[in-house]
Amino acid sequence: MAAKILIVDDDPDIVDALYVLLEGEGYDVVSAGDGEEGLKRIKEENPDLIILDLLMPKLDGYGVCKTLQDPRWSKWKDVPILVLTSVREEASQRRYELETGMRMDVDDYVEKPIDPDVVMERVRKILARKE
Amino acid sequence: MRKKLLYEISKPVIAAVGVENVLRAIVESIAKGTGAKGCSLLILSEDGSRLVHRISYGISGAYVGKGEIEIDATVEKVLQGEAVSIPDVADDPRVQYPEAARREGVVSVLSLPMRSSGGIMGVMRVYTAERRDFSKDEVDFLDSIAELSGLVLEKAEERERIAEEADKAREELTRVSDERERFVYLMGMVAHDLKAPLAAVQSYIKVILRGSTGPLTEKQEEWLNRSVKRIDGMLELISDIVDISRLETGHIAPELTTVSWKQVLENCIEVARGLVEPEGIVLVEEIEPDLPEIFASEVRLCQLINNLISNSVRYTPGGARIFIRAGQEEDEIVVQIEDEGSGIEPEIMPNIFDDFFKGDRESREGTGLGLSICKRIVEMHHGRIWAESPAPGKDKGTRITFTIPKGAICDLTFWEKQKEDGS
Repeated sequence: MAAKILIVDDDPDIVDALYVLLEGEGYDVVSAGDGEEGLKRIKEENPDLIILDLLMPKLDGYGVCKTLQDPRWSKWKDVPILVLTSVREEASQRRYELETGMRMDVDDYVEKPIDPDVVMERVRKILARKE
Repeated sequence: MRKKLLYEISKPVIAAVGVENVLRAIVESIAKGTGAKGCSLLILSEDGSRLVHRISYGISGAYVGKGEIEIDATVEKVLQGEAVSIPDVADDPRVQYPEAARREGVVSVLSLPMRSSGGIMGVMRVYTAERRDFSKDEVDFLDSIAELSGLVLEKAEERERIAEEADKAREELTRVSDERERFVYLMGMVAHDLKAPLAAVQSYIKVILRGSTGPLTEKQEEWLNRSVKRIDGMLELISDIVDISRLETGHIAPELTTVSWKQVLENCIEVARGLVEPEGIVLVEEIEPDLPEIFASEVRLCQLINNLISNSVRYTPGGARIFIRAGQEEDEIVVQIEDEGSGIEPEIMPNIFDDFFKGDRESREGTGLGLSICKRIVEMHHGRIWAESPAPGKDKGTRITFTIPKGAICDLTFWEKQKEDGS
């Protein structure tokens, strides 16, 4: 069965582009337009991988990461996360550490704009690790 | 002795009860203690042309508001340090407001100088309802109290001035940092809003180029590839502008830590390898061991060195070399990036560190901000940067050298200081 990937991004064009790319590679793809919807979809869909944007309305990507560390979400705490954002990695880490006192524990970090080859390579690597 | 004693008395009293209370107590005690009708303190106006009412006891608002007191010969005398007694205001030409005094029921007026450490501050006046000739002892005693008043007033003024200055400084600081915050926030928003649509377009194009939406004609592929390059250039420009605004507003404060030069250079070399290898350029490392630490932003120091290396890569042909050198010279760290590329024309040499300056104006590559960002980073570490072309001892290539003092501490306000120096 194909791995299921959840895309959480508030930019519908990014979602579309990723959708076409990942579906073209044979993955099962679902998407959400903000962090709140993302959490809902995580519960419903049990994805194998989350591709997560950081700056989003309602609940941002940092908030999603934080929520997944909550004991009530323990079922999903190990779902791998690939952060895909226009925020520089070191700036994100700083902010997350400042807010939570912890390091942002994500599996990979890719800066926008999307390079499909890079995204595919990281996705394959993370999913292979999981198996 | 008298002045010193009065000063010593005034200090703790002011501290304990406050300036206004001390002044009020003085005028009230004098009036009551001497059996006078009232007492007032008049201070010299800023321009020294008038006496202005400061505080009084026992006299009416109407009398206080009778008008300004000009510095006539009599007042002048008091201001010279002499006590002046007017036994009857009714028929004395020295009185400026005889009618008001009569209505107030004032008969005699004694004027005493209010001395302070910085000169005479004004005049103390004692008013009586009956004709009175003050004895020499009384005048001497009141003179001391007038001096005490002067010292208190001086102290009050000093405090006001300090408080005012502190307020001004605080305001200035808030204004500057508010402006900075707003500016950086705005730049961040603008940058994000400019980048987001470009990133979306770029993502579509790249997915199309990958063939995920079906096969492309040769022309489509070529044009889409060119589009990608143009968008990359624009993204780079936005990043550079944001970087400059961050540097100029000192907004890299959270990045500052103690970092070792060795670590910085190692990181840069790793990035540099990724840049030179595809071009067939050889990277030669000449890094002294035992380089010290610096309090700085590692991100910015790497950006500085990487900018210089990627510049060199742009102008260096395959097979040629790029040297990265780092060492200590006296109390400075000296870093050099030297290439065997095409070099810099002497005519443009003075401008290469300017904002938006491009060596090749036709070139679509680069933003013209790379070297100006480098210059800012070096200068905020109190260093210098310069270029030599051809590289010293060679007939081609370019050598860029920057030096940063050992133990330099990154100065976040350097840009504001520079603006001040320039004006």
